[in-house]
Amino acid sequence: MKHLKPINHKAQQLEQAAAEDRLEDVVAMSSIAGCTATTDPGWEVDVFGGVSSLCQPMESDLYGCSDPCWWPAQVPDMMSTYPDWNKAANNSSEDWRHLGTVFPKDK
Amino acid sequence: MSVKTIFKLAGLAMAFGTCAQPTLAASDLALQKGHEYLAVTNYPNNLHIIDAENDSLYKSCRLPDAFGPGTIQISPDKTRAYVLNNHYGDIYGVELDSCNVVFHATLSQQPTERARAIFSIGLSPDGKELYSIVNPTRMNRDNYVVETPRLQVYSTSAGLNAKPERSFPAPRQTTMLQAADDGSLFVVGADVYKMDPHSGKTEVNIPLRNWTRPLYSPPDVLYVWPQQRPQHTFNLLYTAARFKDEKMNPETADNVYGFIDINLANGKSELVDFAPITEVYFTGARSPKDSNLMYGVLNRLAKYDIKEKKLLQSASLDHSYYCLTINKAGNKLYLSGTFNDVAIFDADSLKKIGNVKLPGGDMAITTAQIFTR
Repeated sequence: MKHLKPINHKAQQLEQAAAEDRLEDVVAMSSIAGCTATTDPGWEVDVFGGVSSLCQPMESDLYGCSDPCWWPAQVPDMMSTYPDWNKAANNSSEDWRHLGTVFPKDK
Repeated sequence: MSVKTIFKLAGLAMAFGTCAQPTLAASDLALQKGHEYLAVTNYPNNLHIIDAENDSLYKSCRLPDAFGPGTIQISPDKTRAYVLNNHYGDIYGVELDSCNVVFHATLSQQPTERARAIFSIGLSPDGKELYSIVNPTRMNRDNYVVETPRLQVYSTSAGLNAKPERSFPAPRQTTMLQAADDGSLFVVGADVYKMDPHSGKTEVNIPLRNWTRPLYSPPDVLYVWPQQRPQHTFNLLYTAARFKDEKMNPETADNVYGFIDINLANGKSELVDFAPITEVYFTGARSPKDSNLMYGVLNRLAKYDIKEKKLLQSASLDHSYYCLTINKAGNKLYLSGTFNDVAIFDADSLKKIGNVKLPGGDMAITTAQIFTR
């Protein structure tokens, strides 16, 4: 931290935690826990490096990923941030055209 | 137009709106004693009861607030369904005969707190208590603080504004839980923990991340469907690499599928490899009529001989299904989750024998439950 200087509250907290030795070991997680989970590679490639074990069609996996904020899938987090994302598309296979992109609100 | 007319028109529009939807079966239909049913949930927020004897939709209940994940637990007396919903933040108890909501707990305990339960919902053997491990975040104006997860214990008779009767610190990164007959909780996380819901005492019961199986990698577990099986077991799948030798070369390792079956009657568990990994299964279950048979589902339905570690048969599916349920007799398989149809297969031939299309939208990551009233 010799060449880095904290300039906001969050950075100061990080520096303070390091100074007080409040650091935890990072362990690869082996069980799903909300937005941070296993070594799931995501939607582009399955565990074998192919695509045959990805959900078929991809719409069938859409809300199973957005509901629990499943991080490897590039879909909005419906658990906390965009709970109404699929309000106009309860049936993903028929209504998917009603799903839009989302953008963080300006602070 | 008068205000009265507007209300009348609104009423008509609502009535037509209801009629235009696929028919929701009568909500006040009582369940029949001795009859087997399958419960599932779906968007926008329905609880459906399927008659598992003639494989048709029996009734539907509309649930309050928002859907997600729709994880169901059926009470031991089979009169109520408890559903984790409203974006993982609330639990509702529904009387199955009347569809009346008789229990509601908001998992967050402070206005500045956001608590979410990651598929964590379970009931005591007598049905008097409900358990959920929640992951709270304190949301301050300029920062969030991730707090210690806690087990929240509710009385199921606490009504519509239920507050935890007790709460205890719980391990991080846990998902499903189930109560054994002795009252202790089995909690799935990095390891499977055993937790006393009266004292909060927690110990590792089945080591997973910390298992010591020679020449095995630590297992990977992705299992969030706490299904109440006819065998009264609590089960999950794992995957792991089995190395050839001490060099632990992943290039030459065998990758295996295994299951953990916890007998909730006596608390004993089995941890067994049953297949080489050739495809992904999201859920799997052993047959109630032949404990050597294992089924798995995601993009295909598959049946394995556990002792031989051999694929016996497989069936193609119309689309992926997450959640596999077996009826009590062990002769029918119900595939649910993802879209809004439940596919029914003969457990012996793996031939498709039925399909129940549900009113409403996707089941997504629902947990189906089979039960006999």
